[in-house]
Amino acid sequence: MTVAIETRGLTKRFGGLVAVDKVDLRAAAGETLGIIGVNGAGKTTLMNCICGLYRPDDGGDVFVGGERVTGQAPHVVAHRGIGRTFQVPRVFRRMSLIDNLLVPVLDRKAPDAELIGRAEAMLERMQLIDLRHNHAEELSGGQQKLLEMARMLMPDPPIVMLDEPFAGVHPVLCKFMIERIEETAHAGKAVLLISHDLTSIYRLSTRVIALNQGRIIAEGGVDDIRGNPAVIEAYLGT
Amino acid sequence: MAARSRALDSADRIYFTLAALIGSVLLVYFASVPLLGLNVAFHFYLMLWITMASAFNVASGFAGYMPFGYVAFYGIGAFTTAILVKKAAFPLFLALPLSGVAGIVLALLFAPTLRLSGIYFGIVSLALAGICRLVITNMPEQLTGGSFGLQLGSRAHPVQSFYVMMAVMVVALATILWLSRSRLGKALRATRDDADAAEMMGVNVPIVRLYGWLISAFFPAVCGGVEAWYTNVVDTETAFNTLTTAKTVIYAVAGGLGTVTGPILGAVAMVWLDELIWRQFPLLNLLILGLATIILVLFLPRGIVGTLLRKKPQWRRYIP
Ligand SMILES: Nc1ncnc2c1ncn2[C@@H]1O[C@H](COP(=O)(O)OP(=O)(O)OP(=O)(O)O)[C@@H](O)[C@H]1O
Ligand SMILES: [Mg+2]
Repeated sequence: MTVAIETRGLTKRFGGLVAVDKVDLRAAAGETLGIIGVNGAGKTTLMNCICGLYRPDDGGDVFVGGERVTGQAPHVVAHRGIGRTFQVPRVFRRMSLIDNLLVPVLDRKAPDAELIGRAEAMLERMQLIDLRHNHAEELSGGQQKLLEMARMLMPDPPIVMLDEPFAGVHPVLCKFMIERIEETAHAGKAVLLISHDLTSIYRLSTRVIALNQGRIIAEGGVDDIRGNPAVIEAYLGT
Repeated sequence: MAARSRALDSADRIYFTLAALIGSVLLVYFASVPLLGLNVAFHFYLMLWITMASAFNVASGFAGYMPFGYVAFYGIGAFTTAILVKKAAFPLFLALPLSGVAGIVLALLFAPTLRLSGIYFGIVSLALAGICRLVITNMPEQLTGGSFGLQLGSRAHPVQSFYVMMAVMVVALATILWLSRSRLGKALRATRDDADAAEMMGVNVPIVRLYGWLISAFFPAVCGGVEAWYTNVVDTETAFNTLTTAKTVIYAVAGGLGTVTGPILGAVAMVWLDELIWRQFPLLNLLILGLATIILVLFLPRGIVGTLLRKKPQWRRYIP
């Protein structure tokens, strides 16, 4: 199995606070890595470091497909093949849904008509096709999550990172999203999935890491994590 | 799928037909102004404001900046043409494009400020325009004409400059129409809506912003040059007048930032209103215009076109 994404000693400080603390993680193609942890554990910060939004401290490194991308601008890292969604949706509010989907593929050589066709197919899949000419701000919160997912998948990136895709989403839509994520992993992508919904994490993940105060406190298969005393303690308190 | 693509093509057809139709009506109208003996001055300034508001829209409506010192580009353009023509005996057809180049050079000098956003960018922009004005005011009088300004001499030609202004407007509007459909335009809008997200989606944000900024700076500089030619005189007081920025902003906002038609319609409506008010109440002109602006912004916060398109999202495909 080829390692699609890997971090070594990834650390990020905010002043005195160590939000991410020497995190080593790796995910191979076709694998889904679940990331769990209480509020403020450092999950989102970890993703922000991986995609280049934050520059890691203390010489931590990020590798995509075996190549070091640490310190590269986010758009460079994105072109290396990382797509992501956000905990609080960050759609391009005053652009049509189709234009939202075109943003990650603007650099592609393919003619506009072809890209638009692909965007429409993607919106069809996310059941947003009837709204394709609306501005993204006119979507509901859950629909914005779907739009983000479609936008992330548009350039067909080998690595996808999902930050709380299920938060605030109706159960039926949740089920729908879970299926999309499964599809994505089966298509051979490496998936990093942050969620507080342990049921979905356990269902989707091939492996799970649990973060607490920026540090990995447990790592392993779903069954290892489920019974891990450190995880139970961090989640339920003592 | 095929049916949907066809539907898109037909929307495109309607869009281009509409654009061509409206474009040619406007063209014929403006072109016939001097021929029919209509008010050349009024229409000259109407075209100037349409161009200014539309170009401003690239920086504000497309890229999300509020350059409160926008007049700097206009002023530098005015002085470039005046100095080149008067002091270096350049022909106008060379001086005017060089005014545009001067605008671009100035925009490149200001480019580091693109890291700022919101009100901070606006204030710094305002300060930079003040500095430009100071620098030009303190240049040797032989070059800039000092407080009397520069007279361009016998080169004034209202009708010729009218048509050149028209050409500048056409090129500006064509550029912006292209931009609104181009990939650069989409990248700019994404950057405006969420720069970090755009960057994480692979958009090279600094470069995209710079392109938008340069486009936005080029046209006011050319306008400054053409107006210098038209009025035959340039001085720092009028060339760097903050009121120029204010009018540009008001017209663009009134029509609707981020749309192509908005600033055009905004400029037409407000210049016409300005003229009407000025005729009736020469003294209260600015006050009433200010009130009209406040009312407009209160009731149509997205401007005329912006509000319309919010009510009728399906029209966005036909009205750029
Ligand atoms: N931009 C920032 N500036 C300063 N501190 C930050 C910043 N972003 C995050 N932090 C801090 O870093 C820590 C980790 O935050 P992070 O957002 O990564 O948590 P999380 O695991 O995603 O939590 P949640 O489940 O609530 O989303 C928190 O203590 C937070 O206060
Ligand atoms: Mg988070």
